Amino acid sequence: MLHLSPTDYDAIRLSLQVAFAATLLSLPFGFATAYLITFVTFRGKMLVEVLVNLPLTLPPVVVGYFLLLLLGKHGLLGSLLNDAGIRLIFTLKAAVIASAVVGFPLLVRSLRIGMEGIDPQLINASRTLGAPWYDALGTVILPLSLPGLIAGSSLMFARSLGEFGATIIVAGNIPGVTQTIPLAIYEYASSPSSETMALSLCLVAVVISMVVLFLHELMAKKMARRG
Amino acid sequence: MRCLLSICLLVLVWTTFVYADDVNLSVAASLKEAINELSDKFTKTHPGVKFLKNYGASGALAKQVENGAPSDIFISANVEWVDYLKSRKLVDIASIGTLTYNALVFAGTSDKASSMRDLIKLEKIAIGSPKSVPAGEYATEAFKRAGLDKQLAKKLVMAKDVRECLMYAEKGEVDGAFVYKTDALQAKQAKIFFVVPQELYPRVTYPMVLTSTGVKNRDAVAFFAYLHSAEATSVLARYGFATR
Repeated sequence: MLHLSPTDYDAIRLSLQVAFAATLLSLPFGFATAYLITFVTFRGKMLVEVLVNLPLTLPPVVVGYFLLLLLGKHGLLGSLLNDAGIRLIFTLKAAVIASAVVGFPLLVRSLRIGMEGIDPQLINASRTLGAPWYDALGTVILPLSLPGLIAGSSLMFARSLGEFGATIIVAGNIPGVTQTIPLAIYEYASSPSSETMALSLCLVAVVISMVVLFLHELMAKKMARRG
Repeated sequence: MRCLLSICLLVLVWTTFVYADDVNLSVAASLKEAINELSDKFTKTHPGVKFLKNYGASGALAKQVENGAPSDIFISANVEWVDYLKSRKLVDIASIGTLTYNALVFAGTSDKASSMRDLIKLEKIAIGSPKSVPAGEYATEAFKRAGLDKQLAKKLVMAKDVRECLMYAEKGEVDGAFVYKTDALQAKQAKIFFVVPQELYPRVTYPMVLTSTGVKNRDAVAFFAYLHSAEATSVLARYGFATR
């Protein structure tokens, strides 16, 4: 009953690829941002928080359009990259960037919650015992924010799997190259003659999302018990 | 609870009463400017008629009609989707007619191709998603008949309708796009590089039809008749459509 064409399998592979890459790429930045917001006081912090969370509420199409203007051939950054021989628009890299931007707030949010839950006395203790800030970061904060890290990255992974609005604008819709599951479903769904194909791929999307979210819950439970 | 219910009801009524007695058009994206002008002209002589215009890929529109979207007149950029609705008895078969014709061209901003053969040298080419966009279907048919379909497969960016195709070409994000002649004429940056030889694809025909609901809508029937008029033909010709 599951009718999957070769391009559908490509779409599944590409979706996973994009979600993995976007999440891994965002991890260091997400961690740094969450650390900055949680532990460092500085002017304009509110602005940083708003900017970080903006992609969460902004229509993904807006994010996509901004990225197109920024990274496009004649864009601010895109023209520089183009001179260097790097093309992002309509490649899988663009899909990764789009997913990373849209999923970033979810990662930072979870990480922050994890970091805020760390007993400040533990950090203070490590510092008074002579650990420099980076030591405290590596040996106290990082291990203790692991639950937030895992929760955040699995959420972001799931969000990236479903990214559509920004992706279709910057990555185009090239079967076998940038066509991820949502884009393939969209293409099927707008055609009267491919109802069963659309449904098969929808089913795949549901299954993958459920697996990821189950893992997410499982990890969260495990971490909570340990913590 | 009762309060909540009445709010729900209010919202429901508020969102549905909008399209009572209006003329709902489902029209291929490539006809946007022409139909806008024609409906404006029609409202001048028939005050009180309100048009709700839905432009998009013909296949997507056909699917909407099939699923019960309000639509009185359906104009497709190929015969296939009208036939599709015909076979499902959703349209008034007696009303099926041809509005106009168009031609497929290759347009873009950087002049790198002057014939179908040159396409293999390009990096990215935009076409409408062939599953629902007739312009994309005509283009893939042309690739097949020119024997280029395999070489081009990984270069094709699938746009959701022919206008998105044009947008990519205008911005220079693709080397060029397969669009209709009339779209390319609307473009500000993009220019026509070559016209696709007619022997490579079936003629671009725009059939129009009254839907089963449209046939009962007096204003829709009147507008449908107006589309057959000489005035409509001259407007279409001004936008570059071939009337014969």
